[in-house]
Order: sequence, then structure tokens, then C-alpha cells
Amino acid sequence: MGKKILVTLYRDEVAPRFDLCSEVLLVTVDATGHEVRRQDLVLANSSADDLCDLILDREVAAVITGGIEEEHYHYLRWKRVEVIDGVAGLSGEALALYLRGELEPGAILFQRLSHE
Amino acid sequence: MDQNILESLSGLDRADLPRILSALPFGVAVLDAERRTLFLNRALESLTGFSTADVAGVFCRHVLRGSFCLHGCPCLSQGRDCAPGACSESREGTLINRHRRKIPVRLTSLPILDRAGNFLCTLDVLEDLSALKDMETRLSISASPGQMVGRCAVMEHLLRILPAVAQSDSPVLLTGESGTGKDLLAEALHRFSPRARESFVRVNATPMPEALLDAELFGQSEGPGGVPRPGKFQLAQNGTLYLSEIADMPLAQQGRLLRLLDEKAVLPAGGDRPMHLNVRVVAATGRDPEEMVKAGVLRDDLFHRLNAVRLHLPPLRERGEDVGFLLAHYLKIFAAKFRKQVLGFSDEALSLLTSYDYPGNVRELRNMVEYAVMVCAGETVQPEHLPAHLRFPLAAGSSVATQASQAQGKPSGALKPARKKA
Repeated sequence: MGKKILVTLYRDEVAPRFDLCSEVLLVTVDATGHEVRRQDLVLANSSADDLCDLILDREVAAVITGGIEEEHYHYLRWKRVEVIDGVAGLSGEALALYLRGELEPGAILFQRLSHE
Repeated sequence: MDQNILESLSGLDRADLPRILSALPFGVAVLDAERRTLFLNRALESLTGFSTADVAGVFCRHVLRGSFCLHGCPCLSQGRDCAPGACSESREGTLINRHRRKIPVRLTSLPILDRAGNFLCTLDVLEDLSALKDMETRLSISASPGQMVGRCAVMEHLLRILPAVAQSDSPVLLTGESGTGKDLLAEALHRFSPRARESFVRVNATPMPEALLDAELFGQSEGPGGVPRPGKFQLAQNGTLYLSEIADMPLAQQGRLLRLLDEKAVLPAGGDRPMHLNVRVVAATGRDPEEMVKAGVLRDDLFHRLNAVRLHLPPLRERGEDVGFLLAHYLKIFAAKFRKQVLGFSDEALSLLTSYDYPGNVRELRNMVEYAVMVCAGETVQPEHLPAHLRFPLAAGSSVATQASQAQGKPSGALKPARKKA
């Protein structure tokens, strides 16, 4: 059985804020994890409540996003939606990592400066 | 800030810069020309939940996660990735930190240039406004004059003198027609006064046997079960007692009230020892008090005692531009209350609403807007969303004469055009 994954978008990156996101990527994968459908949805306005409604209406199983308020995070979790939040990076890379089961909440995928 | 990052800030050759920045009481981020994070001071690490090591090299929008990063950053709105020195203004917004907490902040972006005017880095200064916003909320709740609003000259004057009147301890007489806001004004007087932390007791001297009313107001030395029963005045001790219609109070009780105002003491029914009271009295009436004195309904001496400070609330039909203002004000309130996207009134609806006479004053206007927002399914209130008596004055039982005037295209009595906007 397949599932739907929603990535909040800001340009080609994961949107830094769930509540301010105005575009999402909705990807449907089959039971083997292969992508079977990809949709770019432009939202009428930026609203965390409306986005939660969209996620539930579309029966999304997992959400990849940046910063999200606790209230919306717990609401989605309560509705049995997997939320991988605090992700900073390119949306394609984040999705690929998720499909490989390697994406963790709070993942920073951008190259960081060396501290040595 | 490690050595690599410090080197990237060439020109700011200060080894103690990280220590200086971390000693500041507000958050500071040092960003490069592409707005990648180079350094967060201690206050900003605490605010965002990220350490410099976590996010060095990451675009600031993924670290600050500010509302201004996506909506309002002048660099982004120009369609480029933050040209050096482009952001140099302050703006308020929110950020969502690593712990999923939304925090109100003020951001000031300061470009740092070398002596030759070349861009070195940007300092983003973030002030946590949480405490300030909490304070604003508390003050707006505790200090707002009980939802009293108005922009006409009379109301502006009233709202301006309100704090001064409230601070005095004199009795106050409020006059004005029903629905003009006397109760709200009385509450506001209490809330602005030094007695604000004490009780605000409202007394409605509805017709009842005098002995019962006497006990209700001034208490009983021996109530049911032999226990002293406090009256409304005792309950208002150190606070404010509000008599919502002074004309309803029988003359005998008016006499006792006068003595209370003079002597600051009251004798409970059946008692023999006066009880000292410290109560501010605010009385109101919807009638003309001078006429009431002439008619013998209000004691002359009590009237003069209360009339030391008199505040008159004008009827809505005399408040001119306030009708439009109040319509917009209540529309906003009820749209938020009912969680509806009602944004305004159509021209036809507005015409009906502004030409109506509002015999029930602000209360009637408020109820009409509440109804309109409740039944409105779109973004604009249309005439069909207004109460029937406004749209079809004939249905409200108007006279044959009114029907005749309607037939001639003249407005009915309830729809006087007197205040229609030019």
C-alpha cells in the first residue's frame, strides 16, 4: 500500500516555517517506496490551520517541514501524521533521505562551515 | 566564534568580539553576504535553541525562522539573495525556535562595512518581545475602557477625561439613553480607579418590597439563622457600587444613600451600630434627572450630591461618524469571534445601516452586526443579511402613513435620512 508525503516548499528548499509556507510538494509512493505521482500545489494563502486541513483531506502520511508550532505539530501527530520538522535543506534531498529512512527531525542538510 | 569564522570577518580583527557580542542582553547573529550564519551570540542561541556549531554556514532563514524572512525581507522581495547592505531596517515579527515555540521579536539588520565602504558582514539584532507583548495584553485587558470606543468629538472628550474622573473618589452620575454604554462606562470608571483591585458591585433596584430592598442594599444585622447578612454596600467595601437606575430606588432608600455618602457609614436593618463603609458610588439613569427631581422621583439633595461629576453619553444618532466606525469595529470583532472571513459591507447594506436611527443605540447596532456576520456566508454583508425590520420597515408594524410615505419613495420614521452621509 502506497502513501503520500508532503514537503512544505520555499523555492527549492524545505520551507523554514510551516505556517508561512505557500507551496507544497505532494508525492505519492507505492509500497516499495517508488514515486508514482508528484504534485506541486500552490496554496491560496499561508495558514497553518488550512495546511493541516489539506494534509488531512489528502490523507497525507508524512510531512517534512521546517519550524512548526507545537500546537500544529501535536495536532498532526494526534491525527497519526508523521511529522519530520526542523529540516533545513533542499526539498529533493530531504525527500530522498526520507524515502531511504534516513531523515531525522532537526536535520540540517546544508553544508556547514568547518569548526576545526 | 572560532578562528575560521573570525577570519571570515576580516577587518573586524577583534579576538574578543565573540565575548563582547555574547555579553549583550539581546540576540545577535553575524551573517555573511549571502546571509549564511557565521555566529550566534549566547542570547540568540538561547532564543533559537541552536548553537553556532549547529548552524554555521546555514542560511539565516533556516536558523531564525522569522516571519520577516519569508514575508518582508527586502532582500528577498527584490528577488535576490540579500545583496550586501540591503537590509538595514527594523521590523517586528515572530520566530519559531527549535522547541516549536513561536516568539515575538524585533529584528534590526545592520550591515557592517570596512573603512573603504566594502561590505564585511551583517549583524542581525533580535530582541525578544515576549514580555512586552504579555504586558501589552495584560494592560489592554485591564486598562481598556470596557470596549468603549468612539471617534466623535463628544466621545473623544469623554474617553480623554475618563482616567482623571476615575482617579478622583467623587460620586459620579451617568446619564444617557438605554444602550449608550452607561454600564460599560461605570465599569471603566472602576477599572481606571485606585479601587480597581476591589469589588465592583452592580445594584439593580428593581421594584421589590422596601424592607427587602433595604436589607438587600444595606444588609441585616441578623439574617437567616441569626447570622449577619451583608448588603450590596458591604459587599462593595473598598470598591465601587454601581446603581444602574437611580430612579428605580424608592425615596426612603435614596435618603439612606445620601446619609451613606455624607457619613461614610451605614446602619444595617435591625442593627444599632453603624458600620463604616469606604465605597465609591456611581449612579446612572436613562432619564432626565432634572425632570425626575421635578417629578419627585429623585431627591433633590441626592441629585446635587451625585451631580458633582456628571458624564453624559450621547445617543448614537448624535454621534455622527461613529456609526460607520462602530460598524467596522463590531464587524471585525464578530468576524473573529465566529471565525468568518467577513470583510465589509456592501454599499446597499451600508446605506441601510447608516441611515437607520438606532433607537436602541450602540447595543442595537452591535446586535445587528452580530446577526449580519452570523448569517453572512461570503466576504461582504449584503442587505439580506440584515435584520428584517431594517430591510422591510413595513413588516415591523409601521403605520399606514408610513406605508404611504414609502409608496412615495420617502423613508419611514425608522429610517430617517437626517444623518445620512453627504
